[in-house]
Amino acid sequence: MSGQHIHAEPTNFFRKHVFSVDHKVIAKQFLWFGLIWLGIGGVMAMMIRWQLANPGEPVPVIGSMLFPRTNGVLDPATYNTLFTMHGTIMIFLGLTPLMIGAIGNWSIPLMIGARDMIFPLLNCLSFWAMFLGGAVGFISLFVPLGATEAGWTGYPTLSTTINGVGSGETLWAIAVFLIGASSIMGGINYMTTVIRLRAPGMTWQRLPLTVWGIFLTSVLNVLFVPVIGSAMLLLIMDRVFGTTFFIPASIMQGAGGGDPILYQHLFWIFGHPEVYILILPAWGIIGDLLSFFSRKPAFGYRAQVGAMVAVTLLSAVVYGHHMFTTGLSAMLGESFMLLTMIISVPAEILFFNWLHTLWKGNLRLTTPMLFSMGVIFVFGLGGLTGIYLATIGTDIFLHDTYFVVGHFHLTMAASALFATFAGIYFWFPKMFAREMNEFLGKTHFWFTVIPLVTVFCLMFVMGYAGMPRRYYDHTSAEYLRSLQHLNKYATHAAFLLGAAQLVFVYNFIRSRWWGKPASQNPWEVGTLDWTMETPVPHYNFKEIPEVFTGPHEFSNPDIPDGKDWISMTEKLKA
Amino acid sequence: MNRINSLLAGVLSSRWMKALAVVGMAGVAEAQGGNRWAPFPPASDFGHRFSELFWLITILCSISMVIVVLLLLIPLLRDRARPGHKANYDHGSSLHDKRLTAVISLATFIVLDAWVLAIAMKDLREAYWNMPEVDQAETYPIEVLGQQWAWHFRGPGLDGEFGTPDDILEMNQLTIPKGRPVSFQMTSKDVIHSLFLPEMRTKKDVNPGSINKTWFKPIEAGEFTILCAELCGYAHYQMFGNLTVMEQEDFDEWEESASLLGIAAYDPEDEEAQWAWEWEE
Ligand SMILES: [Cu+2]
Ligand SMILES: [Cu+2]
Repeated sequence: MSGQHIHAEPTNFFRKHVFSVDHKVIAKQFLWFGLIWLGIGGVMAMMIRWQLANPGEPVPVIGSMLFPRTNGVLDPATYNTLFTMHGTIMIFLGLTPLMIGAIGNWSIPLMIGARDMIFPLLNCLSFWAMFLGGAVGFISLFVPLGATEAGWTGYPTLSTTINGVGSGETLWAIAVFLIGASSIMGGINYMTTVIRLRAPGMTWQRLPLTVWGIFLTSVLNVLFVPVIGSAMLLLIMDRVFGTTFFIPASIMQGAGGGDPILYQHLFWIFGHPEVYILILPAWGIIGDLLSFFSRKPAFGYRAQVGAMVAVTLLSAVVYGHHMFTTGLSAMLGESFMLLTMIISVPAEILFFNWLHTLWKGNLRLTTPMLFSMGVIFVFGLGGLTGIYLATIGTDIFLHDTYFVVGHFHLTMAASALFATFAGIYFWFPKMFAREMNEFLGKTHFWFTVIPLVTVFCLMFVMGYAGMPRRYYDHTSAEYLRSLQHLNKYATHAAFLLGAAQLVFVYNFIRSRWWGKPASQNPWEVGTLDWTMETPVPHYNFKEIPEVFTGPHEFSNPDIPDGKDWISMTEKLKA
Repeated sequence: MNRINSLLAGVLSSRWMKALAVVGMAGVAEAQGGNRWAPFPPASDFGHRFSELFWLITILCSISMVIVVLLLLIPLLRDRARPGHKANYDHGSSLHDKRLTAVISLATFIVLDAWVLAIAMKDLREAYWNMPEVDQAETYPIEVLGQQWAWHFRGPGLDGEFGTPDDILEMNQLTIPKGRPVSFQMTSKDVIHSLFLPEMRTKKDVNPGSINKTWFKPIEAGEFTILCAELCGYAHYQMFGNLTVMEQEDFDEWEESASLLGIAAYDPEDEEAQWAWEWEE
């Protein structure tokens, strides 16, 4: 701990703002990068919803600009590209940099009392690897043979055959590979930092839940991202160098002899933990924030940590539930069904403790608190609907329908997004030394949660009614025409949801430069990230703090001076 | 275990479960002038198993969600910060709290998951995994070839053998008899497709390079839908067809004439049409 170097603050613009090794600068880089991509992915979602409600009609406003060749109409190829890139962008370039890159980078050193990450240069490299990945992904949209159209899952042989997709698919795989490399670098750095650089007295039992969540996510990143990296490499080999890892002999005129199902195993060995890679930090963040704003200790801290550890372990052994219709053997199918159901035990423990944290608290309904409670609500809906999909008897019908789309948007997209918003509203005053507007924040929350739940619950109905996903137009098949009215409702709600994000953009930009200057500890919480002055000085802590109390000692009767909170660096009375 | 299973089966086949399923499906479907909020009624034995399981999970999940919402709403309304109001200092780390956590989580697991799991296992063993033996009199075999973007179906014809001139070839149209198990062996020419029969409540991926199998028993005669559920490229959304389920007598008549038509149209030079394989037991 004494080994933490201090270098002079760089004065060169490039060293200070571009290739900075300061975790606070890198956190902000990830934040802006993630928000921009979230915006791009969001606009894509709006175009997808437009097409579904008004098939074959030109996209208003931006359509003729983006698709001049078709006068603004989306053709099926463009539509396939849009939902493929929407998924890839939201997961790898939106939520990952925001939740893990920005919030992880910001909170870990500050919350554990460290001057920086343990490997600052690796941290810088992690951001630029992701930036490069994003750039390659962006370029892939404009290559001559066409962008990727194989879905964010990129299943062969659609992603390998020439009548499947164009060379954009190769660039897509390279992009995912680079972003994966970034995640592995980040994961190694975060793990090592949490293990090695905790301030004196910051025991594992005093570690804020946010840090626990990001730590466990880092473990999953380091273990499972290499698996998708290998899948991407093999896919690139099949596409570029003529190997046949995933291409069966029957479609190669007898040559080769690979197996497309092999790819699905590799993809989901990573893909299922990926859900928890995004959700564990969310659970950690709300575990802390619910306690902070209920002015009550986090109920069952140890049980919450134990549940998160259990989910981390279980997440490695359930991936087969994504493959129930591929022809898994009966034995594998039943095992994956049982193992998946077991995850509901730790999930139940978390719900029990979150709800108990609120019970008889003194609730300050700030924007971060509303978003944290929102996570409980949307994750409740998403988690419970997971039971339909874990059960083979119901999954066989619901698989690859809109039911699945509704389910994973609520579980991993909306829950992670809400926790990200909670985190941004919460740490903004420390990050930018200005306060965000609370009225606009609450408006943002209510106009986000209501349309969002409407959209995805309508998708449950669509899926139950038999509407397959990834269809360009639901009015062509007789069977689906009678469901078109649901598409219209969902699109209206989605546009409202999209519009509500403009409130956030306005609030963020305005507060960033013209907001009210923030005080040192506006939320009155005790974790170390609020103990230094605002803005946070170079190298965070002049002296490494010493920790005496836990992160959640709210309303403890032994707190001196009649306050309801105490800093982790202070001691309780006797 | 058997006693529990029969108890569960009893509850599920009880009148209120059935009534609920009827209200849930048919009732809502008819409302709104052709706009539906639910699938068309099930037309296979799997379909009824699906409905029972679906509504059981729906009831259990709805109850759980109501509890979660109440536990969010009560503190939201009752425990808001106000002058003079204090939070309860409680870490929830007492032995009592730990026991309560364990009991509630396990109880929820048993009610929510184990119950569903038990019925699902029973269904799987009795139906989904329980592939029928192919003997011509009872089980009707079908070979499926998926391609971008069409469904090819091959019936064995009158001789009961695949790959002979009297095979019945259909495209985007499948004709099967009612009341008998229909057994499918499927593969794809190019990319992965997925044979989705919404009214039969079943679906199975159609993979290139290997043969995938599935089966179901249609219990309703009529016209139904075939869709593709796995993204397969540009015209994925147009890869649909029609499923005709005929009464046995009608089917016999149809099979004979279709088989004779097959012989008439048989062209050994046409390599595209020779995709049959030996039926795998
Ligand atoms: Cu999963
Ligand atoms: Cu398809």
